[in-house]
Amino acid sequence: MGLVGIATEKVLSSFSVFLFLTILLMAVARRISTSVLLFSLQSVVITAEVLAIAFQEKLVEAYVVGVLVFMIKVVAIPRAFFLLTKKLKTVRDVKASTTPTQSVFIVALMIYLSYAAVHSYGQAIHVPVDALAAAVSLILTGAFLMVSRKKALMQMLGLLVLENGIFVAALITTFGMPLVIEIGIFFDILIGLLLMGIFTFRISDTFDHLDVSKLRRLRG
Amino acid sequence: MCQNCAGFGAEGMLLLLPIAIPVLGACIILGLRNPRLATRAALLLGGLEIAALGVVIWQVHTHGELQAGRYLRADSLSSFFLMSIAFISGLVLVYASGYLRHTGEGRFSSPRWFYALVFLFLFTMVSVCLSANLGLLWIMMEGTTLASALLVGFYNTEGAVEAGWKYLIVCTVGIAFALFGTIVLYLAAVKAGMNPAAALDWVSLMNAGPRLGLDLSLLKLAFVFVIVGYGTKIGFVPMHSWLPDAHAEAPTPISALLSAVLLNCAMYAVMRYDAIVSHAAGPAFPHTLLLIFGVMSMVVAGLLILVQRNLKRLMAYSSVEHMGIIAIGLGLGGPLGLFGALLHTFNHSVAKSLLFFSAGNIRHNLGTLRIDEINSMSRTMPQTSAALLVGSVAIVGLPPFALFVSEFAILSEAFTQARYLVAALFLIVLSIVFGGFAYHLFRMLCGEPGQHPENPKLIPSEYMTMGIAGLCLLFFGARIPNLFSVLLREAMAVLR
Amino acid sequence: MKIAVDILQALLLIMGAPLVRGIIARLKARLQRRQGANIWRPYADLFKLFRKEDLIPPTSSVVFRIAPLLLFGSTVCVAAFVPVVHVSALLASRGDFFLLVYLLALGRFFLSLGALDGGSAFGGMGASREALVSSLSEAPFLLSLVALAILASRADIAGMVGWTLQQNVFDISAVHILAFASFAMVLLAETGRMPVDNPTTHLELTMIHEGMVLEYSGPSLALIEWASAIKLHAMLALLIALFGPWGMASGGSIWGIAVALLLFCSKIALLMVLLSVIESAVAKLRMYLVPDFLGVASAVSALAVIFTMLVKR
Repeated sequence: MGLVGIATEKVLSSFSVFLFLTILLMAVARRISTSVLLFSLQSVVITAEVLAIAFQEKLVEAYVVGVLVFMIKVVAIPRAFFLLTKKLKTVRDVKASTTPTQSVFIVALMIYLSYAAVHSYGQAIHVPVDALAAAVSLILTGAFLMVSRKKALMQMLGLLVLENGIFVAALITTFGMPLVIEIGIFFDILIGLLLMGIFTFRISDTFDHLDVSKLRRLRG
Repeated sequence: MCQNCAGFGAEGMLLLLPIAIPVLGACIILGLRNPRLATRAALLLGGLEIAALGVVIWQVHTHGELQAGRYLRADSLSSFFLMSIAFISGLVLVYASGYLRHTGEGRFSSPRWFYALVFLFLFTMVSVCLSANLGLLWIMMEGTTLASALLVGFYNTEGAVEAGWKYLIVCTVGIAFALFGTIVLYLAAVKAGMNPAAALDWVSLMNAGPRLGLDLSLLKLAFVFVIVGYGTKIGFVPMHSWLPDAHAEAPTPISALLSAVLLNCAMYAVMRYDAIVSHAAGPAFPHTLLLIFGVMSMVVAGLLILVQRNLKRLMAYSSVEHMGIIAIGLGLGGPLGLFGALLHTFNHSVAKSLLFFSAGNIRHNLGTLRIDEINSMSRTMPQTSAALLVGSVAIVGLPPFALFVSEFAILSEAFTQARYLVAALFLIVLSIVFGGFAYHLFRMLCGEPGQHPENPKLIPSEYMTMGIAGLCLLFFGARIPNLFSVLLREAMAVLR
Repeated sequence: MKIAVDILQALLLIMGAPLVRGIIARLKARLQRRQGANIWRPYADLFKLFRKEDLIPPTSSVVFRIAPLLLFGSTVCVAAFVPVVHVSALLASRGDFFLLVYLLALGRFFLSLGALDGGSAFGGMGASREALVSSLSEAPFLLSLVALAILASRADIAGMVGWTLQQNVFDISAVHILAFASFAMVLLAETGRMPVDNPTTHLELTMIHEGMVLEYSGPSLALIEWASAIKLHAMLALLIALFGPWGMASGGSIWGIAVALLLFCSKIALLMVLLSVIESAVAKLRMYLVPDFLGVASAVSALAVIFTMLVKR
């Protein structure tokens, strides 16, 4: 089977554990840079998963998608975040509305909920339940980060974690969609992030802070 | 229907025109630094685009559906929506040419950026209607959010930036859920034995109908996520939080485009998914969901209309309410329900554009959009107040305007199906909205004169567009033109 | 033969404890670009203290005098529980992991009582802080061990180690990763290491453990210092045994035991390096953040227990 084969198998069976670890750590991270680092680690795990599936199912398209994921989510996006934090000169603190303990408990609860949710579907689709639960917990954690972190940059990061979750769900159930669609999705995500970056600059210029919980002028 | 053989025939090439013209137009306009030149170019290119759309619509009407390659298709439903897009964007472009004389300069704030972004926005919306592949549909829907975000935040004030940020975040999250729904549908299709390359193609999915229906849970899951996701873009309650802010803070032409065109495109996407799921597993589940969301949107928006203090926010909530009406029409199904829903998408667009145009004029003359600060408009600004009055009477659904026809159709369908609760709620909310509009309008049009508007007369671009809209509403209220009626029925046939 | 090896294990943990402390202190000094004391220095300190006189505050009672003895006794018992070179220990069959946790708690309890009995303000402060830290760390400590026990279907430490030995080293278990994270955090809290407590501080207001022993001198102090060193050594050995025991001798051959001993030394060397790096890299947490730290450990260990339910169908 070869070393690569064994490695592939191990990656496929255990990558969900590492995804759980990254979201638990993201729940307690107190600095924006730590969260971004955890996001890039998460994307590394996902890249490994994509490449493992590409190797096992012998799909050439999946290799391309894997390279794309690596370049965009592991290299380009974290770098853009670090550049943004430097340029915006914002306070590094994540400004969470929940304490670390509460956040970890909430994320742990969400992991449990995602297991409960995918239990019935996992049987039907014949995918490993762990991986599907990891995808759903990524989605839930992304939503949680967006709601509980009050910095604009953290909302962007929460959105990225959510998209990671959807990507993993697509990956393990269908082994990827047609290549053109995948590329289109990546393109959209990139432009979306570009626009959000532009908007964070505008928020910082207009309001002199990046605390989105204070953007409450329009109500009713 | 045959993805392999359609290829790029001569007629297929026709579909590329309405897509290529806006993109090229955006690039051209970005290069023109002179604002007047940019405006002229925009109007010219807008005319070209409308012509191209007209050709496509005529071709589909006479020769049946057009296909270009694997990803683009125009059938009667798309041509109906394209007609709506063409009409409204024509009105908006003409209005904007006069409106922009008031905006200031700044980064991303010059007329050429405005028109370039508008054309990119048009490109994405036309592509939504021309997508044959559900994946491409998703990409272009996300594209509409991205293309319009900068337009919403165009004025760069505190309110605009906040509205733009909220719009971007909420809609991107919503569309991400729609992506999940698309993936689940793809999974269901592949599991049902379809060729993966065709598993996202709308026509193939329609043809695979009963086969798909074997796996009910996956289909239901897919539809739930799709209606929540695209419903965020439509403005269904409770996902509507971005809508009042975005429509109120955006420049008036953009508010009109958002309310009148974008919401329709999102509804188009939901219609396509509804057709697939109804075909595969029966209409009970999707229609129930549509009814629930429709009734919720109507009731909540109707109630909130009573307490609005900003004119454009009032109109935005009215859009939410009317999207609820359309959803109710779709959810009821049946010939009258579908007819009413499709007709309503068009009627609402025209009426809403008229309303937003008059609001734009009010803002320029009085500098404010707060209802309690506006009064005695009937004396100081007679033309604008006439337009506002006509638009309000139309939007509330009173005869002789067109919205009465579509709402009456939906209401009769409700009675025919013995859904008395839905009909009762429908009537109650309509009365509440009527009362609300009457109250707000009374405060604005009558009373002591407090302000002196700087330029109470309407310029040609304004009264031309408003006049066309008003006449269209009146005309359609009396009798729907034959051609339009035929196109409407062909569109309905696609969804059966 | 087995008994002899067990006794040797316990002696290794007890007698090697000051060496472990000395090595960690030296590594930290080197990381901070200082020379650092000799690694055998703690032995010299203990020897010196045993020869000195015991000074007892006049206001104290018998509790003050017996606290060090009880602490030392319970810690030595704990050291006799931990398998080091083979899958059994001196007291392994006498109790399960509950007994281990509560033996440690017993020692800590009497140390706090002794500190309060000493009558100094800093003793009282240290005792109250220690009560906070220990009450919060008890939950994750127990829960992480519970998670492992559920997986192994055994409650005694030697049994759990034996079960882990039979698993494939490359099958990464989610429960073990979570339990490891939680146990590591508890280790830092229980043994009074950074970021919970600074063992080298001389500022009384920042002391937790050191504050409790301020009043002790002579042999009592020696016993207390030795006990805390044994506790650190035993918990490190427990960490290795529960999470990375591969290499332990299965039979009774001298050769196997020698190899196991060598592997143990290298594993504990790795842990000592890690501990020194962590201690030098992080700042001490302010007291009101310690509950957060331990709360995270609790949540992670609770998740580990929940995961056992999902893994064990």
